[in-house]
Amino acid sequence: MIRARHLIAAGVAAAAAIAPAAGQFRRMPPQVQPKLVGIDALRAEFFAQSGGDTVYFGGSSVILGAPAKAILMAQARWLRRHPEIVVSIEGHAEAADTRDHALAIGARRAEEVRDFLILFGVPAAQMTATSWGKERVAVAGNSEAAFAANRRVQTVLVR
Amino acid sequence: MRRAPLALAALGMAAAAPALADPAATVIAVPPLSTPTDTKVEGGGTTLGIAWQATQLIATDLRATSELYPVGPDQKDFYSYPEVTAPGFQRWRAKGVKALITGFVEARSDGRLTVGCYVYDVDKGRELGRKGFVVSPGDWRRAAHKCSGLAYSAVTGAPDIFDTRIAYVAESGSGAARTKKIALIDSDGNNQATLTKGDSFVITPRLSPGAQTIAFTSFSGGTPHVELINVDSGERRPLLSGNGMTFSPSFSADGKRIAFAMMQGINSDIYVIGTAGGAPRRLTTAPGIDATPSFSPDGTRIVFESDRSGSPQLYIMNADGSDQRRLSFGSGWYSAPEWSPNGQWIAFTRRTLEGRRVGVIKADGTAEKILTRGTADEGARWAPSSRELVFQRSDASGRQALYRVTLDGEEPRVVATAQDGSDPDWSGVVD
Repeated sequence: MIRARHLIAAGVAAAAAIAPAAGQFRRMPPQVQPKLVGIDALRAEFFAQSGGDTVYFGGSSVILGAPAKAILMAQARWLRRHPEIVVSIEGHAEAADTRDHALAIGARRAEEVRDFLILFGVPAAQMTATSWGKERVAVAGNSEAAFAANRRVQTVLVR
Repeated sequence: MRRAPLALAALGMAAAAPALADPAATVIAVPPLSTPTDTKVEGGGTTLGIAWQATQLIATDLRATSELYPVGPDQKDFYSYPEVTAPGFQRWRAKGVKALITGFVEARSDGRLTVGCYVYDVDKGRELGRKGFVVSPGDWRRAAHKCSGLAYSAVTGAPDIFDTRIAYVAESGSGAARTKKIALIDSDGNNQATLTKGDSFVITPRLSPGAQTIAFTSFSGGTPHVELINVDSGERRPLLSGNGMTFSPSFSADGKRIAFAMMQGINSDIYVIGTAGGAPRRLTTAPGIDATPSFSPDGTRIVFESDRSGSPQLYIMNADGSDQRRLSFGSGWYSAPEWSPNGQWIAFTRRTLEGRRVGVIKADGTAEKILTRGTADEGARWAPSSRELVFQRSDASGRQALYRVTLDGEEPRVVATAQDGSDPDWSGVVD
C-alpha cells in the first residue's frame, strides 16, 4: 500500500516535469483518438469493462460456460451502475442449424443470458431479449470455425 | 400479382378414362398444335405461330419429367384441325408411341384465344382427357402448361406441376447491406416478382393452398413474428396481435388453419389458429423446442420437430395435440419436416457430421432415404405431384440457391432465380 502511494506521487511529479515540454507542441494538430460521445462512448466503456459484449456457446448448447459467465458478471456490474441504459440481448445460431431451429436456439440463448443478468441484479425492465437465428452471421461460411463464431449472444446497448 | 383463374372453354363431353397402366417413361408424341384458320393476334404473331411455340413449351415441360418421354415436336408431323379429335393412331403406333397429345389454337372474336388439348392412349385408340382454355394472347404459356399438366396427369395419375409457382426469399447484398425479400417465380423459371421491399428481414414464406396468401416470419420491429401477405394487393397483417415471438407458419390443405410455433421464455411450442382469426390453441407442452409443424393432407395429423429427447427429431401427433409419437430414430438431427400432398411421405432435413442433407421417410417411419449429397442442403418442400422437392443449397461461401430433386434420387437441378434464393415453398396447381 505504501509502495503504491509512492508510485502515484512519483507519477504526478513526472507529469509535472514534462508539462512545459508538452506545451511547446501546442500548435501541432491533435493526434489523439477521436473522442466517442453519447451511446458510442458508453458502448466502448461497456465493452472494455466487461471484457466484451458477446458470449459464445459450444456445439448445439444453450448452456453458459465459465468464460461466458465471467463476461456476463462484468456486464451485470456495469449495467447496475447504469440503470438509465436499456440493452437488447440478441441471440444468434450457426448456419448449420436449420432456419427455424436456429431462430429458436438463438431465442433460448438470449433468454439464458437475460436470466443470468437478472440473477446478478440487473432489473428485468432494463433488458429485452430477441433472436436473429442465423440471419446475421458474424463469420460467413460452412467451416466449424465460422459456426463457432456465430453461436453467440450479443448485449447491445440501445440507449 | 396472382394470376386470374383461366377461363375454361367447353370442349364437349370429356370421356372418362382410366390412366395408362404403366407410368414408367411413357413415350408421348407431341406433334404441332393445329389452328382452324391462321389468324393475326393482338400483340403480334398468328395463331399458327403461337400453336408452334406452345407445342415446343409442352415438349419442354414433359421432357423435364422422369415419367414421360416426348417425341417431337417436328413440323413434319402437322395435322389438320379435324384430326385434333380424330387422330390417325396407326401412324403413331408404327413409331412405337404410347400416348399422343393434340390440340389447337383458335382466335376468338373478342381478341382472345381458345387453346384446346386432347390426350390419347395410342394402343387403345382412346381419349384419356381433354381441356380447353380461353386466354389473352400474352397468356398462351399458361394454357400450354395446362396442356402439359393434362398429359402428365392422364399418363401418371398424379397431379401435375407445370402451372405452379414457387415462393422463396430473394437475397442480395452482404453484411449490414444484406436484404431479404419475399419473391415468387413460376416453377418453369418465368414471371419473377418480389412482394416485400426488403426494409426488414423475412424468412420461410409459406403459400396458402390457392397461392392467394403467403404466411412468413418477419423481423420488423425487432421480434420475429408471423405475418400474412396478400399476393394480389401486397397487404400485410400480423397473425397474432401480441408481442410474442412466433415462427414456422404452415397452412392446412384446406387453407382454414395455420399451425405455427411460439416462443415463451426458453420454451417453444406448437399452436394452431383459424386463418380467419380466433384464439390460438396450444398443442404441445414439452420442455424444449417444438417447431416446424406441417399438416397431413387430410388435416387430421401434424408432423413437427422437437428436441425433447435431447436432439431435434421428427414427431407426429393428432391435430388436437393428442398421441404424440416419435417418428425418426437415426443418428444426428432431423428437422423441418413437410408432409407430402399425397400423404405417403414426410420430407425432412437431416444433419450429421457429413453436413445437412434432404431426405424423405414414410409417415409410418419406414423407408427413409437421403436424396442429396451436399454439405449444406435444407428446407425441402413438396411439389404438388409428391414426386419432387424444392430445397435450398448453400455453397462454401454461404451463397444460397434453389434446387429441385426427384424422389428417384437423380442429381438435383438448379431453379434459376434472379438473385440468391433461400427458403423455397412450392404451391399447389394454380387454377
